[in-house]
Amino acid sequence: MMLHLYQYLGILLGVMALIFTLIRFRNGKLSLGMLGLWIGVWLIVILISIFPDVTSTLAIIIGIGRGLDVILIIGLIGCYYLIFRIYNMIENIEEEINLLVRQIALEKGLSSEDQD
Amino acid sequence: MRIDSQKSKIFFKKHSNDIVMVLPAYNESKTIEKVIEKLLVLDLQVIVVDDGSTDDTYKIVKKLLKQSEQLSLYRHLFNRGVGATLKTGIEAALRKNPKVIVTFDADGQHHSKDIYFVSRPIIEGQADIVIGIRDFNVMPFRKSFGNRIMNIITLIFYGHLVKDSQSGFRAFNRKAALLMELHSTGYGVCSEMVGEVFKHDLILTEVPITTIYSDYSLSKGTGTKVGFKILAKLIRDVFK
Repeated sequence: MMLHLYQYLGILLGVMALIFTLIRFRNGKLSLGMLGLWIGVWLIVILISIFPDVTSTLAIIIGIGRGLDVILIIGLIGCYYLIFRIYNMIENIEEEINLLVRQIALEKGLSSEDQD
Repeated sequence: MRIDSQKSKIFFKKHSNDIVMVLPAYNESKTIEKVIEKLLVLDLQVIVVDDGSTDDTYKIVKKLLKQSEQLSLYRHLFNRGVGATLKTGIEAALRKNPKVIVTFDADGQHHSKDIYFVSRPIIEGQADIVIGIRDFNVMPFRKSFGNRIMNIITLIFYGHLVKDSQSGFRAFNRKAALLMELHSTGYGVCSEMVGEVFKHDLILTEVPITTIYSDYSLSKGTGTKVGFKILAKLIRDVFK
C-alpha cells in the first residue's frame, strides 16, 4: 500500500498529539475523562490517515460532494485549533483560580486563638 | 493486637507533637465532628481544609475551634477538588514544623488507631512516605473494581504498581512533603503522588489499614439514582 504525503503527515500529527496528550495526563493537567476523549480523537485522525477511503464511503453515505471537502477540512482544522487554544486558556485560568483560592485559605486560616 | 494498642499509646504520648493531621473536607457535616474528636483525643494537631462545602462543615469545625488549641481551620472559597485541598493542607501543616504529616479522610472511613501504623515507619526513619492500604476484599464490588482499575492506570502512567493507589490515608515526612510537586486538582492527585515518590527516589512503605464502611459512606455510592448521578457527573467531567 503506497501512502501519500498527507497520510504520513496525518499519522505524524496524530502520534505526536497522542504523546502530548499522554504527557499532559501524566503531569496531572488532564482529567481521566478528557484523556479518553482526546485519545479517541487522535486515534481517529491516525486511522483516517491510514485508510482515507473510509471518508469516501462516509461521504457517499451522507451525500456530501467532493467540492465541499477542502472548505470543510480547513474549517475543521481551524475549529480544532481554536478549541485547543480555548481549552488551554481555561486550564490556565483554573490554575490561577486554584492558586488564589489556596492562597486566601492559607492567609485566613483560623485556630482557637482567633476566636472571640 | 493488645501489645500493639499499648505500644501505640506510648507512641502517641511521645510523638503526638510531631504529627500533624490534614483533613480535606467537602460536605462532610455528618461525620466531621466525630472524626475530629477522635483525633483530638490522641492529642494530635489537626488541620481541616474545607473545600468550599455547601453544607455546614465549615460552621461545625469553626465551633470546635473553641474547644481545642490543637485544631486549625482553612477554607477554600470555592470547591477546587481534593488535590488542591491536600496541597493547601500540606502547606499549612509544614508551617507547624512536624516530623510527620498524615492525610486522613473526613468521612469517617478511617480508624484513628491506624495513625500509629502509618506514622511509625516515618518516625523511625524507615520511610519517607507511607500509604495505608485498604483491604479490597471487604470493599463493595463497585469500589474495589474502580480501585483496581486506578491501580492499573497508575502503573501505566507512573510506572509503578502500588497496592492501593487511591487511599486517602497517607503519611509523609517533611522531605517528601517539600519535594512533591502536585498538579492534579481532583482525585488524580493520589496517583500523581505515587509518581513523585519514584521521581525523587523517596522510600515508600505500604501498611494495611482498616476501613469502616458505615451506612453513610456506603450510601454515597449505591442505588440506581446515585449511580445515574455519578454517570451524569462523569459525562459532565468529560466536557469540562
